[in-house]
Amino acid sequence: MTIAQKGRWLVVTGLVMLGGVYVRALAFTPVERFQGLAQKIFYVHVPAAVTTELAVILLGLASVFYLFLRDPRLDRFAEASAEVGMVFAAIVLTTGPIWGKPIWGTWWTWDARLTSTLFLFFLLAGYQVLRGAVTDGSLRARYSAVLGICAVVLVGFIHLSVYLFPTLHPQPIVLKPSKPSLPAEMLLTLVLSFGVFVVLYIGFVMQRYAIATRRAETLHG
Amino acid sequence: MDNSIPQNAGYLIAAYILVPTILIAYAVSLYRRSLRP
Repeated sequence: MTIAQKGRWLVVTGLVMLGGVYVRALAFTPVERFQGLAQKIFYVHVPAAVTTELAVILLGLASVFYLFLRDPRLDRFAEASAEVGMVFAAIVLTTGPIWGKPIWGTWWTWDARLTSTLFLFFLLAGYQVLRGAVTDGSLRARYSAVLGICAVVLVGFIHLSVYLFPTLHPQPIVLKPSKPSLPAEMLLTLVLSFGVFVVLYIGFVMQRYAIATRRAETLHG
Repeated sequence: MDNSIPQNAGYLIAAYILVPTILIAYAVSLYRRSLRP
């Protein structure tokens, strides 16, 4: 079985598991009293956000190591992680406003957390454009690595933005120095959903990495 | 004081349909790109 086929199976498994998370979120997790059913968007929005952060941190690490080691596998992994991270960022940026409308009364506000997340999405889109625009493989990998490091710096800013600036967006309730402020049933559903998003991330990256490898082999014979 | 839970299931349904739609669209995109020579 090739890496792409393994990735495909992981994605199919992840999608089935996402169905399981929906069942758990809807039937076995309590409804939040003040937000109603819309609060359950939390179980897809937050795992997608954390997986985006994970994807960009791995992109940054691969980029740093590429600049030292010049191993093309690191560049291909960075390319794959950036694209998959952009897809998860799209989920964050669409589920966020759908959750925000009934709770905040507005789809969007230009505060630090939301604006910097949108900026991250455009940065990841720009990363793909850059890779398409530079034809020299070595230059492309170097430029992309620098942009990948910029993206990981932005992720740090996004995570801290709710502490640094006044914002409608709530502060972290799980990824914070103190204990998660969430009932056990809700926390378990969140952790399961995060596990599913990680499975999907791995499956997508494996497929995207295989495409990048095949493209490189075609170019270099 | 109104203690009723807000009725906003439509937003939840929209989000829960949107997420697998984006994921499946990307999975199909990857599959189609993998078939290209």
